[in-house]
Amino acid sequence: MNPKGRPEGESAAKRAARRIVKLSRPSTWAGVATFVVLFAAWYVLTTLTQTIGSGRFPSPGETWEAFEQIALTGYADARLVAHVLHSVKLVLLGFAAATLVGVPLGLAMGASRSVEAFVNPAFLLIRPIPPLAWIPLAIVWLGLGDAAKVLIIWFAAFVPAVINSYSGVRTIEPYLIEAARMLGVPRRLFVREVLIPGALPMIFTGLRLSLQACWTTLVAGELIGAIAGLGHVLYQASLDIFPAMIVVGMAAVAITAAVMTIALGVVERRAMPWRSTR
Amino acid sequence: MIALGATDTLSFRRWLALSLAGLMAFFGIWWITAASGAVPPQFLPTPLAVFERFVALTQSPFVGYTLQQHLASSFGRFALGFGLAAAIGVPLGLLMGWFRWLDAVVTPLFDALRFIAPIAWVPFAALWFGTGIGGPVLIIFSGAFPPCVINAYRGAKYVEPRLIEAAQTLGASHLRMIVEVLLPASVPSIVAGLRISAGLGWQSLVGAELIVASSGIGYLLVKGQSNISTAIVMSGMIAIGIVGFTIDALLRMLERRINRRRGR
Amino acid sequence: MMRRHIAAAAAGIALGAAAIGTHAQPLTEIKISYQPAVYWAVPFYAAAEKGWYAEMGLKPVFSTFPAGVPQIAASASGSWDVGALGSVPATLGAARYHLLMIGISNDESDGNAIVATAKTAASFEKNPASVKGQTIVLTANSTGDYAVQSCLHKWGLQKTDVTIKSMGQAEIMSAMSSGNADLGGLWAPNTYTMEEKTGAKQICSGKDAGAAVPGAIVARADYAKEHPENVAKFLAVYLRAWNWLNAHQPEAIAMMKKFYDQGGVTISEASMKKEFSTRPTYDLAGQLKIMKRPPGGKSEVDDWFTKIGAFMQANGTFPKAPEADKFVTDQYMKMIDADPKLKAFANRAD
Repeated sequence: MNPKGRPEGESAAKRAARRIVKLSRPSTWAGVATFVVLFAAWYVLTTLTQTIGSGRFPSPGETWEAFEQIALTGYADARLVAHVLHSVKLVLLGFAAATLVGVPLGLAMGASRSVEAFVNPAFLLIRPIPPLAWIPLAIVWLGLGDAAKVLIIWFAAFVPAVINSYSGVRTIEPYLIEAARMLGVPRRLFVREVLIPGALPMIFTGLRLSLQACWTTLVAGELIGAIAGLGHVLYQASLDIFPAMIVVGMAAVAITAAVMTIALGVVERRAMPWRSTR
Repeated sequence: MIALGATDTLSFRRWLALSLAGLMAFFGIWWITAASGAVPPQFLPTPLAVFERFVALTQSPFVGYTLQQHLASSFGRFALGFGLAAAIGVPLGLLMGWFRWLDAVVTPLFDALRFIAPIAWVPFAALWFGTGIGGPVLIIFSGAFPPCVINAYRGAKYVEPRLIEAAQTLGASHLRMIVEVLLPASVPSIVAGLRISAGLGWQSLVGAELIVASSGIGYLLVKGQSNISTAIVMSGMIAIGIVGFTIDALLRMLERRINRRRGR
Repeated sequence: MMRRHIAAAAAGIALGAAAIGTHAQPLTEIKISYQPAVYWAVPFYAAAEKGWYAEMGLKPVFSTFPAGVPQIAASASGSWDVGALGSVPATLGAARYHLLMIGISNDESDGNAIVATAKTAASFEKNPASVKGQTIVLTANSTGDYAVQSCLHKWGLQKTDVTIKSMGQAEIMSAMSSGNADLGGLWAPNTYTMEEKTGAKQICSGKDAGAAVPGAIVARADYAKEHPENVAKFLAVYLRAWNWLNAHQPEAIAMMKKFYDQGGVTISEASMKKEFSTRPTYDLAGQLKIMKRPPGGKSEVDDWFTKIGAFMQANGTFPKAPEADKFVTDQYMKMIDADPKLKAFANRAD
């Protein structure tokens, strides 16, 4: 969550050095400390004092056992690795489709009042319909395969991509646009040199939210008769009332999604080398 | 929000014409697809069939209540969860944008939690709160909270450094810095966040209702589905859309009012 | 807005409370859970309409759940005291939250089945072996799941011979009615909805496969321990409601129609009659008989639940099924039997 500008032409060694410096920063330790404290509290409440019964929330020991079960022998018809890979595939498909459609649409709506007026009513009507509410139609239209799941994920990721790209254009300083107009910058150049760079911070905000929406919707998507995937694990665990496995599933989603977000952050830094924060 | 140059404003008449054209295109494609007979009604009923069903649902009860009553019951849950998310999320985001130590403590935790689907909390909501209001509120909150925090945080982080330096030179306290520098500068981002948050909160609620509730608009949808009536399902979706639209419109009004007060 | 929600909630409670009528002595609250628009929940509705809870000094507070699993999850926080649900989730509840099985709601064997789409039913019926390699959509950990696997067993097929996809009943109906799935594990009245609206056909029920699929009447162990007398009264009301429903067909059907309407299910009267005729219920004597344990042996109900437990264990739901005699108890039925007033009440059919 802390995008950093990086000077061009930095050597690999310097970058590695920076990374080490970053690791030894107090902020990193504060984060680690938070987790340590939380973990200790979890252990104490569920295991030592048993204030929280295992029917309500699993203990670290139960969670570890559930993890071992799914990682080694498998749960919900597959091992953890297979579930993760399946989910990553669905998320990537949905995210890519949403980005390809959503960002250009948002930019166009932001740049042209006419496009906005034309598209907005239908968009505003569709936008607040939850991805999950599309499940009945997705099943009827696309059946029980991956296509229906990708459609659900697409719906979730599409909206933030559009809104933030749109806002991104609208927050570009007017004098920049005026200047470009007065200089008679051709449309294509204007889009490439003014519109997109100006909107990029918000576009990336949108993409982060999109990616997150993909992951949060995955669970819903995999309600449609999945045979693998982390959402399927969560669904099966909830049907089995297996709190420890639910926690493992949640953690697996969080970790996988976090890794993908870090990757997106790297892309963001590459895309906006000029951007710097305090 | 800033208009994209004065030259690009539309006359009201042109705006209206384009909006209507957009709506007509949307419904036109839908109607032609459904009425052409290329797909069975269960696949896609005509807009008219859906409209008739919609009207019928507002007049006679389905699964115990009329459409409005289902919506009211959903909306009450939503308002509580969303209100809580905004009241905690926005201040937290701003504080994280200013105090680095808070950022360091909260961010990893937050990063870990925000990818967890709101509906993944459904089993725990049931275990912890049973049939109480706490369950739905927890689910809505988990959906609506992240955008509130992220956008407030990003808004605060992207404030022009020179503004902050100026304020620091003037000796502004932490509180004044947050309330008078970061908050106003972050408002566009925060409101964008609130709009997304409201959307996600509303979505999470309906999602939860699809799985576990026995009242509310999501429940109506499931029951329509098990009646093998796509018209009921789509009526429910439209009702959800209208409420979501209204929530969004209210937040837009808020956005405009705030911007006007700030003299934009 | 919040107020409106509360008003809606209050209206819901009032619905339950309306049935109480004017009773002088203070009523004891009892929290009852069930699922809307199913056959075995009709007695709850009928008893409330008739004011029989109040006659027993009870004030029912109803909560409804779309399926058995969320229902037992909600029992963990004490959201309800007694209720009814499918035997499969009930066994899960016994394993996880010490739910007690205090009676059998009815015999659901013919109400849980594999349903095939109109196009495919005939060929699957003619040659059940052709189910091999097919996809079956069902709701995992449900009585429907149990019926499906019993049928597979009957046809000489293994679970691994087919692809099983788990989803909610509503999703199953969407998938089947749009031709995206040919075989589904459903329970009544969804089976009837599918038959009436899409021409689908029930090709093998739990009964056909020789599996006993009971519906369970359950109580939270803590509650039952603290208030055994309320549990017995609740059971007596339930038994009387069945007696009445069975003895007054036309009125019972009318009541069922109203109840199903509230739950959003619209099936024909013929199907409703079929629900009554194919799914036997038990009166007090019947309950005591099937739950009676010979010295050192197992009751009929114990046998049913042992089989269900084994099925769930094979599914991987839990590593070890709970022993039936640990959670099936006829203690509360016996309480009714031992109390002349309660017994007379439970056996009334008017």
